[in-house]
Amino acid sequence: MEIVREIVLPVSPAEAWEAVTEPERLEEWFANDVELDARPGGRGFFRWDDGDVRHAVVEIAVAPERLVLRWDDDGVVELELAEHPDGTRVHVRETSPQWGLALELHACAAWAIA
Amino acid sequence: MGDRVDAVFDALADPSRRYLVERLTELGFSTPTELAGELPMTRQAVTKHLALLEHAGLVTGTREGRKTVYRPELDALGDASRWLERVGAQWDERLAALGRHVTVRQSRAPG
Repeated sequence: MEIVREIVLPVSPAEAWEAVTEPERLEEWFANDVELDARPGGRGFFRWDDGDVRHAVVEIAVAPERLVLRWDDDGVVELELAEHPDGTRVHVRETSPQWGLALELHACAAWAIA
Repeated sequence: MGDRVDAVFDALADPSRRYLVERLTELGFSTPTELAGELPMTRQAVTKHLALLEHAGLVTGTREGRKTVYRPELDALGDASRWLERVGAQWDERLAALGRHVTVRQSRAPG
């Protein structure tokens, strides 16, 4: 199971890469407090004002193309940047192996009571 | 984001517990003794798994005389799918914010 989203940013891939990897830039759009070492094996810390806190490890970081973070609770976020006529296309994919099971069971349960 | 959802995912991470939830869904209700008869597991182990599933809100146990009868709680699995929708909505908001951030910054850039 996965969530896929896309946006086109009116900047170059190099600038888009900064916006998605530099902590002070991430604090403008992703979370309220961010620490991130955007290198393979680097650690990430994200805090939101609603009290949510998440930790991550950088699995892949290829500037300015691909960033893969693994959340400590097992989800994976993948950001892919590619040149686009209007700037840079940012493709986001968030997956978690356990969602599939929960939904599969849910579908099975829904079918069973139908 | 909820401990409840975490508890649901933890509970479903184990194949024996997934089987127990599926089996209870098929049967409608059952007891640890009956379920243990279908699995290479002791009644005590089944009871322990069911307690964890109950904690996650996936099943409910009711005392009926000397035995405890378990039933599936289908709404809890719906929570998981609603959470998925929420994470999708979070990304919609975040990417919209990213778009605004990049655009505003660019318009302020010199030259």
